[in-house]
Amino acid sequence: MKPEGRLTPASGHSPDSLPARPPRTSAWLAFAAFGAVIAAQTFAILTSPADRDMGHLQKIMYVHVPAAWMTFLAFFVVLVFSVRYLWRRRENDDLIAAAAAEVGAMFNGLTLMLGMIWGRPAWGVWWVWDARLTSTLVLFLIFVGYLALRGFVDDAQQKARWSAAVGAIGAINVPIVYMSVTWWRTLHQPPSSPATLDPVYTMGLRVNAIAFLLVMIYFIRKRYEIARLERAVEHMAQAAALGGP
Amino acid sequence: MAASNQTFIIAAYAVTWVVLLGYLLRLVRKGRRARADYDRFAHEHGEENRE
Repeated sequence: MKPEGRLTPASGHSPDSLPARPPRTSAWLAFAAFGAVIAAQTFAILTSPADRDMGHLQKIMYVHVPAAWMTFLAFFVVLVFSVRYLWRRRENDDLIAAAAAEVGAMFNGLTLMLGMIWGRPAWGVWWVWDARLTSTLVLFLIFVGYLALRGFVDDAQQKARWSAAVGAIGAINVPIVYMSVTWWRTLHQPPSSPATLDPVYTMGLRVNAIAFLLVMIYFIRKRYEIARLERAVEHMAQAAALGGP
Repeated sequence: MAASNQTFIIAAYAVTWVVLLGYLLRLVRKGRRARADYDRFAHEHGEENRE
């Protein structure tokens, strides 16, 4: 009999059978994604001329901006699956949200580091407490907190419920980060996008964004696969402890 | 100026690759460990069920 309030296993196994082994994420996706990054970076570096104001420093845009976009996208995935979890209480949704949160936090940290590396020669400082940088740091800290929360809470149901709430509330910060350069006077330039860029830089930015998207998809799939394996082991351990099959 | 800018550009790309490959390596190791744990548990569990 299913214990009171227990989550529906991601693997969909019945208490009388072993949880199914999740399918392995294709290594070809990893090769394709990382190959795409190499090709996109080579293309962008070789084809983009020096910018009138920033010179070749502009080339940092091809890693900084896609990393920021992937941060936003990953946290949007967290929002969608956290809300879905709160609505349907399916374990799968919690595990996808957690996988996207970890990948998003990684891209968020990368965005901050690249921003600092770009800021030092462009502005003369590594860091300034302006609206864009501060809100991006707050976003990063929220998702580090989300991951820490998952590490501290043992009960799977409580962990899923609390982290879904933190994930959904934390993702609300994304539009604040995006709009911060419009709402407040900041040292950071307005958002870079194909609409605001000189056409000579547009293709380089697009191909790098697509390559980063492939990397993000691979990372989230792989992290989700691992989470399902770990959860399946937990279910088996629980069943063994209860003397079941 | 141009030379120092080049240092920052190289640093940015180097940091990107270190972070992406570092995370990839972490996932590969974690995945290998999780799969081994699953196989071990499934094997032991299967043995118990047969007994």
